Amino acid sequence: MADNIAKVFNWVNHRLPIQNTYERHLSKHPVPKKVNFWYLFGALAAVVLIIQIVSGIWLIMLYTPGEAAFSSIEYMMRDVDYGWAIRYMHTTGASMFFAVVYLHMFRGLLYGSYQKPKELVWIFGCTIYLAMMAEGFLGYVLPYGQMSYWGAQVIISLFGALPYIGESLELWIRGDYYISGITVNRFFALHVVALPLVLIALVFLHLIALHEVGAGNPEGVDIEAHTDEDGVPLDSVPFFPYKVLNALVGIGVFMTVFAIIMFFFPEGGGYFIEYANYEEANPLVTPDHIAPVWYYSPYYSILRAVPDKLGGFAAMGAAVAIFFVVPWLDRSKVASIRYKGILSKIALVLFGISFLTLGYLGTVSVTEHRKTMGVICTFIYFSYFLLMPIYTSIEKTKPVPDRL
Amino acid sequence: MISIKKLPIKQVSMQGFLFLFIFFIYFNLEAAEGAPCKDYGECDEFKHSLKDMSSLQSGASTFLTYCYGCHSLEYSRWNRVAKDLQIPEEIFFDNLIFDPSIKPGDLMAGSMSKEESAEWFGVAPPDLTLVTRLHGSDWVYTYLRTFYEDSSKQYGVNNLVYPGAAMPNVLAALQGNQQLTCKQVPIIANNGGEKRDNSGNPVTKEKCGFLNVEEGTGSLNQEEFDLLIYDLTNFLTYVGDPDKVERERIGWYVVFFFIIFTTLSSLLYREYQKDYH
Repeated sequence: MADNIAKVFNWVNHRLPIQNTYERHLSKHPVPKKVNFWYLFGALAAVVLIIQIVSGIWLIMLYTPGEAAFSSIEYMMRDVDYGWAIRYMHTTGASMFFAVVYLHMFRGLLYGSYQKPKELVWIFGCTIYLAMMAEGFLGYVLPYGQMSYWGAQVIISLFGALPYIGESLELWIRGDYYISGITVNRFFALHVVALPLVLIALVFLHLIALHEVGAGNPEGVDIEAHTDEDGVPLDSVPFFPYKVLNALVGIGVFMTVFAIIMFFFPEGGGYFIEYANYEEANPLVTPDHIAPVWYYSPYYSILRAVPDKLGGFAAMGAAVAIFFVVPWLDRSKVASIRYKGILSKIALVLFGISFLTLGYLGTVSVTEHRKTMGVICTFIYFSYFLLMPIYTSIEKTKPVPDRL
Repeated sequence: MISIKKLPIKQVSMQGFLFLFIFFIYFNLEAAEGAPCKDYGECDEFKHSLKDMSSLQSGASTFLTYCYGCHSLEYSRWNRVAKDLQIPEEIFFDNLIFDPSIKPGDLMAGSMSKEESAEWFGVAPPDLTLVTRLHGSDWVYTYLRTFYEDSSKQYGVNNLVYPGAAMPNVLAALQGNQQLTCKQVPIIANNGGEKRDNSGNPVTKEKCGFLNVEEGTGSLNQEEFDLLIYDLTNFLTYVGDPDKVERERIGWYVVFFFIIFTTLSSLLYREYQKDYH
């Protein structure tokens, strides 16, 4: 019997690289043996992606796109056994996806995870973030509540600010003269088929590129510099089981938090599911206060900080796009913040503060005072990136140790 | 001589920035954006008790008697409510459902057509399935108790929480005639105490906007009426989120599972870490 199984395995393995792939990416893939909790968020993002795909598939079975969308959500929440669990899993997952990805990106800035030779890993990551923003926006429109409707109205009208093509582009996106069931139908198609395909392809590229150049560590030490006679880095451990077990602990903590939100606070105080979205979309009534979900609010603040509509749109786009060129803005000889100079540390802290403040400002209504704050923080946000070539090259760095 | 290198620059600067951050956030927290209950100010606090069946049953009965004539609960089903509120279907149908054509599995779609009611009232009375999730239970609890007489309005009443509400005070016969009154209130002096004149008598000023029920005009006293509204709001809170109790019950098991999972996996990880430490 065992003989036969081995025979079948060998037959397949000669035609499909099962063993090679397993060894290359799991059992023999070397990872740095000393990393900290910041290095868990990539694995957590993968976990949330799986949660979103699985819960999403079940949601599609119960959801009706078009103008019946709102009542189909209430139908699944009430009449379908455990329909609420599937739906809250997806809404909680959306917020958690952005939370772990923001922390994952911050890790990148903290420890220079974009530096040579990881530029492509970083760029694929930025593209994933961009695709996620589109995916999240499209998904947010699907329940067809008041905030879905008016949020979509705000975002789609931004395209209308583009010169010459603006108005026809808006019409082309909506598929109608105003946002309607037709818009929901096409957003549904994009949300459940087009963008998930793009996301999965990008995640695949992100991982393949990462496994080619190797994972980083908080010291910024190049572990490839010291290898044993087989070429395995001395400061590394195999991915399986060591890294997997490490990630498992992180996943356990993360899922505990996830479950607490999903079962006890699914609305997240109006930040994960906005209260205004418990009213069906009504094209005739504008809500008092249109606020994006928390994960877009920093960019919404940047949009509002620029008085001109097209200018605001451009600033918002630039705020996301600027991440792509970070590998070439950082001129530092060292990767990790631990060995960078004081200027980099100050810049990163200021950037963090301005990002959080912009996030807060995006969820509240504008006052004269808050507007000024928004402008200041937008200025700091862009300065962090644009001044990076200067402050990373003039500051004094500490020597990086040889080994991990 | 103190060497500059020995100063914990990293910690000092980090703490400095932390303070700066707190200052930033504090700086941004301006006055609230208008009170949630409008002219009433902060809403009265409402604490639901979704396991109190008699409260929910009484709320359902009030809803079906006084509200359901105009307002629907269109995402909720009759038999689901009967089951969740532990009302035997027979009793439920005999006493609380007034339309013989209704079947147990029907949605509680209301008894007026939306087109007609929009013509009668100016706007169709909104569906109330999700009202507690949209405005919050505090809001609903306060709203229903803050109608007052205002002859300038179509139905002779206005509301503090929702000024200009296009809804008559359906519960006036129970509550009685509520009016806005003025009364003398003590002036608070700069030192925080009540202001007094030279002979020691408190100095007062007239303040308006107090709700006062004309005695003897309603069939319930204030306590009974507040309880009725409490039960009604409790029922609407249930209707807004009918699985809340069940969800939280399951939630404890799931959280417990993940805590055990985390503990075991960290013990296992620690064991494996010995291989390379």
